[in-house]
Amino acid sequence: MSVRKTFQEINERIKRGEAVVMTAEEVSAMGRTHSPAQVAEKVDVVTTATFGPMCSSGMFINTGHANPPIRMEKATLNGVPVFTGIAAVDLYIGATENHPENPAYGGAHVIEELIAGKDVELEAHAKGTDCYPLKSIKTTINRSNINEMVMFNPRNAYQNYPVAVNQSNQIKYTYMGSLLPRLGNANYSTSGELSPLLNDPEMRTIGMGTRIFLGGTTGYISWYGTQFKTDAELNEFGVPVSNAATLAVIGDGFRMDPSFIKAAYYEKYGVSMFVGIGVPIPVLDEEMASCVMIRNEQITTRILDYGDPDHPELGRTNYSELMSGEIELNQKKIKTSSLSSLYKAREIAELLKEQIDRGEFLLSEPVEAFPKGKGLNSLEIRS
Amino acid sequence: MARTKKRMVLRFPADTVNEPITYTLIKEYDVLINILNADITHGKEGNLLIEMIGSKENVGRAMDYLQDKQVEISPVVKTILFNESACIHCGACSSVCFPGALNMDPESRKLLFFPEKCVACELCIKACPLQLFQLNFGVN
Repeated sequence: MSVRKTFQEINERIKRGEAVVMTAEEVSAMGRTHSPAQVAEKVDVVTTATFGPMCSSGMFINTGHANPPIRMEKATLNGVPVFTGIAAVDLYIGATENHPENPAYGGAHVIEELIAGKDVELEAHAKGTDCYPLKSIKTTINRSNINEMVMFNPRNAYQNYPVAVNQSNQIKYTYMGSLLPRLGNANYSTSGELSPLLNDPEMRTIGMGTRIFLGGTTGYISWYGTQFKTDAELNEFGVPVSNAATLAVIGDGFRMDPSFIKAAYYEKYGVSMFVGIGVPIPVLDEEMASCVMIRNEQITTRILDYGDPDHPELGRTNYSELMSGEIELNQKKIKTSSLSSLYKAREIAELLKEQIDRGEFLLSEPVEAFPKGKGLNSLEIRS
Repeated sequence: MARTKKRMVLRFPADTVNEPITYTLIKEYDVLINILNADITHGKEGNLLIEMIGSKENVGRAMDYLQDKQVEISPVVKTILFNESACIHCGACSSVCFPGALNMDPESRKLLFFPEKCVACELCIKACPLQLFQLNFGVN
């Protein structure tokens, strides 16, 4: 009879210290000698992870009220504008917001400094109201004198992403890094067989309410991410060959660790933020076992020309080739590099594995599944 | 005997590209030549990044020979400083590094820096999202 396990049964095994937990890379290697039925029999949980630059990120903070109080209408943190259009002292720091005079410094740096416990300069202005008479304030805040600091990232952990190359004659500075002219290099950005959504491509076990590792602490998947797409082309192994599903995630900034949240600056593009995410996947049955056994050579991705504004597809490759350091395109060998850190992703997958092994991290069944058959709209320019 | 070591970029005019200059340097002037990077196309100008090691006298004579051959000599004084301890090992710098001074270890996926291969082209400075590379204008 084929194996069937529930979240509850797996959690009971975790609590008793009996659960067998492996990283997605370990289980991919195991897949070379074991069948899906054997993997489902032996393994209970597979840990997946990613540590890449994820622009659609940010943090809500509540600074607490001053005396007399102010209803902040324009505010900056270390000179970086933050969003105030919520309530008097609720602010949202967008990771990619720039310092107006220093393009290499932005919201992500402020977030990293707050997590690290550093002082951050707050300046705010208001028109003054009967209930909030103060018109301006200049002070410093840090993690110990504010009320809340909640990371909420509307779009993280892309399920696959295209490789960027540049066929033009000029170097291109993009969010996919520096792209040398005439196919001088190729940049990609996922952790391949270790990447969360590539190990559960149909999102049978990942959904709203899934408990995850986020930035060094426990977080949750709060919703499907923006630009969530389920109608992407699939390859013969059932994984999308292009950017598809995404996750919206939430977690407590007070408990985060700055080694898993890192501010980034891409030349002539702007600021972004490396976010460390780990997602545990329960091996409920043989079908889930075959999903988590996916290997780098089975994950296809498209190669797009960022030298052309339309980003035409030039070819396809897979993560085994990309991670070898070189791909071949138009009879030319091209050096590859990753924008996301596989080294850090492995560290996260190992940490999550240890937490589950010690019974400190239990799996949560999604309270609601993600939508199916969702496509994307593009913005029409109407005159 | 005191040995001297010089690191320099040699720029060959088009008509000397086909001459065995490195051979002559080694054979006739008794200097060690370590080629760190070469970019030579026949019939066109070429660039060679080398380290020349030898006695002060031999290195001096070798330099005179290069000047006779109209080889342009630029000493390499720029070096790249890398704040390795803050590196997150993404690897974004490795594919722009044409001399191969920055490489990902295929097993550990950690970034490895080989300063001896670095030609201070500065591409890594712009490629690193954490801005961990800096140009150092020290004297070689």
